[in-house]
Amino acid sequence: MSMLASRRVAFHLAAAAAVSIALPGIGTAVAADPVQLVQTTAQQVIDIVKTKTGADRQAAILAVLQANFDMPAMGRSALGTHWNQATESERARFLKAVATAEAKAYSERFGQYGGQTLTVGKVTPRANGVSIVDSRLNQTTGQPIKLEWEVRNDRIADVKVEGVSMVMTRRSDFNSYIQNNGGKVEPLVKELEARAAR
Amino acid sequence: MFVARRFRASEMDPGSALMIGVKRTIGASIRRSVVAVALAGTVLGGCATKDTGAAEVWDPLETPNRFIFSINRVVDIIALRPLAVMYRDLTPERAQTGVRNLLDNLGEPVTAINEIFQGEPSRAATTMARFLVNSTIGVAGLFDVATSFGLERTKEDFGKTIGLWAGVEPENGGFYLMLPGIGPSNARDGTGLMMDYLVDPFRILTFNLAVDWDYYQFARYGMNAVDYRSRTIFALDDLEKNSLDYYAALRSAYTQNRADQIRQKREKTDTRSELERRDTLALVR
Repeated sequence: MSMLASRRVAFHLAAAAAVSIALPGIGTAVAADPVQLVQTTAQQVIDIVKTKTGADRQAAILAVLQANFDMPAMGRSALGTHWNQATESERARFLKAVATAEAKAYSERFGQYGGQTLTVGKVTPRANGVSIVDSRLNQTTGQPIKLEWEVRNDRIADVKVEGVSMVMTRRSDFNSYIQNNGGKVEPLVKELEARAAR
Repeated sequence: MFVARRFRASEMDPGSALMIGVKRTIGASIRRSVVAVALAGTVLGGCATKDTGAAEVWDPLETPNRFIFSINRVVDIIALRPLAVMYRDLTPERAQTGVRNLLDNLGEPVTAINEIFQGEPSRAATTMARFLVNSTIGVAGLFDVATSFGLERTKEDFGKTIGLWAGVEPENGGFYLMLPGIGPSNARDGTGLMMDYLVDPFRILTFNLAVDWDYYQFARYGMNAVDYRSRTIFALDDLEKNSLDYYAALRSAYTQNRADQIRQKREKTDTRSELERRDTLALVR
């Protein structure tokens, strides 16, 4: 009995700690910029998911993506070596379609707000100007999910979920699609645009 | 020397000649397996140079892999996923936790064995203590009492053990492999899976006692599959919906996720950590 009780106490303590850290960085002047950026972004997304649905939600998420994420760099990385052979207009269309696809994915991913909170952990600044922010997404049931944010020039450049990088996964996906469709960027852009229009 | 040996061999009775023959065969088979292991090592260690982490997953068997992937998906769509959804949505939360604890408990000995191979005997002792506590006080593993005693759960497999010692980037697990019924794997993790199966005390026990416990084993593997699938529904649905080439996206995600697990193991000892690798990553210009 006592061990169950102690477990419950530990759980409450953990939950309290999670909530206190998960609150957006108001008054935490000590916090470095990257942490603030990650916390603000998480809070904005949570607010959007709580209040908006459908097309409104998608538009709001797109706005957050464009304000807080380095979408051009992420898109460019996702296209990999194919970026160089793409024409100017293809690049522009590609970036637009990718941003729409991401916004759509995020707005559908969460469905309804399920009480998740983000606990930001340690920040590791690197010599090349990138900061890596470790965090945990606490769910109401089950294990927390490990999230790592890569922040460069005050913008988020990549998110890793349980070690799986968003940009790297897209990169493999796009690269394979291009190779299976004649090695050109055009079919990929067309497909992305068709999906965005759906 | 040569003459003497020939002389003795000619005097030998047929029985001991047979013995020598057997010994030779064993010797040859050992030599052959040494060669096989060395070959496997080369395969694992292949294409390790100039790894920026941004390279594509090595997949020389892509065509057969895609074929098996399509069969797996059919089985998944008509059988496994619906089962997993029903299990997730219709079974009480407590029952699911109990089943998961039970299955996890049955997996503890294999984890302990791997922790020994990973050079962490104290961790292995903790795992075995967990196993003993949960098997007795925890009613055959239904309740995870050990965690509240401060014995934390770890999950290790032989793929991770190989990855820990392989000396190559953990993204490089040899060739990518789509296993029938099991799903994404690679040379490293496929070998690991086989090793885990071979050393599993519960499998050996049921085999040695010659008891017809096969049904229990089937039930165990079946429940493992449903339980695991029920926990990956969200992530896999999401990946499928948001990718143009699901096969390629899954291949990348699997490789990254496994690499991350191995890197966490290595971090303690390896000087070339994930952070250093990221600095040279082609993504970070």
